[in-house]
Amino acid sequence: MLATAQPVALDAYHALESVPSNACGALVRRRPDGTMAGALLVEHGRVCWAMSQRYKLRLTDILVDEQDSLTHEELDAVFEVCRRDHLPLGETLVARGMVSLPVLHRALLRHTCEALDCLLRSEPLPWAWVAHSGYGYHPMLTFSAAEVLAGVRAIANPPLAARAMARLRDVVRDDQSGFAVERAGATKIPLAQIRCERVDLEALADLAMQATEVMAVAATVGIDVALAELEGLACASWVEADVVFVLLCDGELAFNRLLAQVAAMAFNH
Amino acid sequence: MLSRLHAIADSVGRFVAAAWVDTRTGAVLVKHVVHDEAFVAPALDAATEVMRSPERPPRMVLLSTRHVHIIQRLTRDPHRVLVVICERSPNLGLACALVRAQAEAEDAC
Repeated sequence: MLATAQPVALDAYHALESVPSNACGALVRRRPDGTMAGALLVEHGRVCWAMSQRYKLRLTDILVDEQDSLTHEELDAVFEVCRRDHLPLGETLVARGMVSLPVLHRALLRHTCEALDCLLRSEPLPWAWVAHSGYGYHPMLTFSAAEVLAGVRAIANPPLAARAMARLRDVVRDDQSGFAVERAGATKIPLAQIRCERVDLEALADLAMQATEVMAVAATVGIDVALAELEGLACASWVEADVVFVLLCDGELAFNRLLAQVAAMAFNH
Repeated sequence: MLSRLHAIADSVGRFVAAAWVDTRTGAVLVKHVVHDEAFVAPALDAATEVMRSPERPPRMVLLSTRHVHIIQRLTRDPHRVLVVICERSPNLGLACALVRAQAEAEDAC
């Protein structure tokens, strides 16, 4: 199903899929000479950091880019304190009121996805899992596999990813989750996602494939949206331009609630 | 089977057509059409194709601008599928519940 997916995103998918459930450790890529090309750090099954020797941006560069009020000098000073006193940089910045948690989350995710993308593109080496006891990261500063995968996928086509995310933000309610995949091509790796942390990667890919297949048939008879009742879950899918959207809803009367919601929606074909 | 389609036509508002289809062969086993619109035959074909894969869930609803297509797979014969087409109305949930009830009654036979 994913065999012809965009190579970097597919590599990222396989790497994230290989992370043991709820594990703490690192997926490491070493060169034949034993030097480390990069790594993906994991805590309780969630990604907390990625590094690539060939990725030149520092977290502080991204933070300055994300927040005008920060300067390199201020951040470098805090970095030195953290290095000296073995303090976590992100949490220290938040504790000092220099950045908010959402800004830090966004910056860390961007660094993680860009570093992972760089590592996958520049050094195609095997991964090795190294277990350890964990880093004690704040949960808000760690990322689900779906979040990282969508971030890596978005690097290949930022405008499409941004458009997909904007649409998801329009339709996904607080008690729902949703994701988008590119319709053309065989890649069924999310382009954007909201609250898909509890959906494992294989299930996400399967939902995406089912949605794409159904909508390909349904579109021939003018169908705008398809709803399905799965076990404990209701799922709606539709296509807008080049993107297949999937909306997930669970809980009491999920199917009826989702049906009422999509029946009231307008679709941009 | 035909009597169930008539029962659905009597209970579901803005009814257009209903049919039992066999997803293995694509055959329409029996149908009841009240409004013989040109889209009914291709819509039945599309519903059959959608449900052909055993991986599809037992219930699906497809919405177009003007119509709703309610598709319910039988539990005791997963290749047999009930397709009901009606015009969109404010109470789609009721239409879905009525179709499911008829499919469950057919399952119980």
